[in-house]
Amino acid sequence: MSQSLAKECNEVKERYDTCFLKWYSEKYLRGAGTADNNECSALFKEYSNCLQGALKERGIDKLLEEAREDNKENDATFMGRKKCE
Amino acid sequence: MKVFSNSETFNYSWEEVSTANWRKYCPWNQKSTHVVAVDTLSRSVDPETGILRTERLITCRQSAPDWLKSLMGGCMDESQVLETSYVDPRQKTVTMVSANLTWSNLINVQETVVYRPLNEHQTRFEQSAKITALCGGWQRIRNSIEDTLVKRFRENAVKGKEGFEAVLAMSRRAFAEERERERMTLPRTTGDIRMASAS
Repeated sequence: MSQSLAKECNEVKERYDTCFLKWYSEKYLRGAGTADNNECSALFKEYSNCLQGALKERGIDKLLEEAREDNKENDATFMGRKKCE
Repeated sequence: MKVFSNSETFNYSWEEVSTANWRKYCPWNQKSTHVVAVDTLSRSVDPETGILRTERLITCRQSAPDWLKSLMGGCMDESQVLETSYVDPRQKTVTMVSANLTWSNLINVQETVVYRPLNEHQTRFEQSAKITALCGGWQRIRNSIEDTLVKRFRENAVKGKEGFEAVLAMSRRAFAEERERERMTLPRTTGDIRMASAS
């Protein structure tokens, strides 16, 4: 698996990535993984908490907010929803 | 604005490609070394459509040309990209939209990649990128910046294809080994080795 931007998050990221890949290939692609809450959720939370600090420290959190704003149109297009919703 | 586009065919099923895509930048890929980190920021499944939406932060390290560095005043070797991807399991598409986070006041890079099945054993990859230099001033400088990035995209695309081929091959092998392991260990856990070997 790839590295994390923050070295201190590498270990939990590796565990999460492995869990996700298994879920994706064995459940999601077979139509059995539609819930957000799954066996990888706790790991993701742990990984996410670790990453948040690193993003803030590097000032990336603010850049992300702007980029997400710019991506709203793509969300509307690729999530298959109408723009006016 | 300049546009870069590219398409490839991979001799793997869409399921294999879309799975391996999550570890495109792992150590199996020794070509795309400019990607130094990949972090998942958010992930959700739309209960209505089944679409899996993922946000990833891609960290790249690739040296910029000297003339650009001197213009920008030094350090611009590390940059970040926000990749938002949408997997539609019903339509069998993976769409990835990426935008640069770093230097966004200078350059706007919007890349779209789509993976869709050609048939049961082949997957089509389509990539397009729109590159726009935003800085005021001379058109000539804007053109040079755009040309540099188009060239970079072209170089990375060749390496990306080679690297991803390696990941796909390793991925197929790893899954086959895992299936084999499961096949070997399953009868033992149920304590029924003789029946399994007889069948």
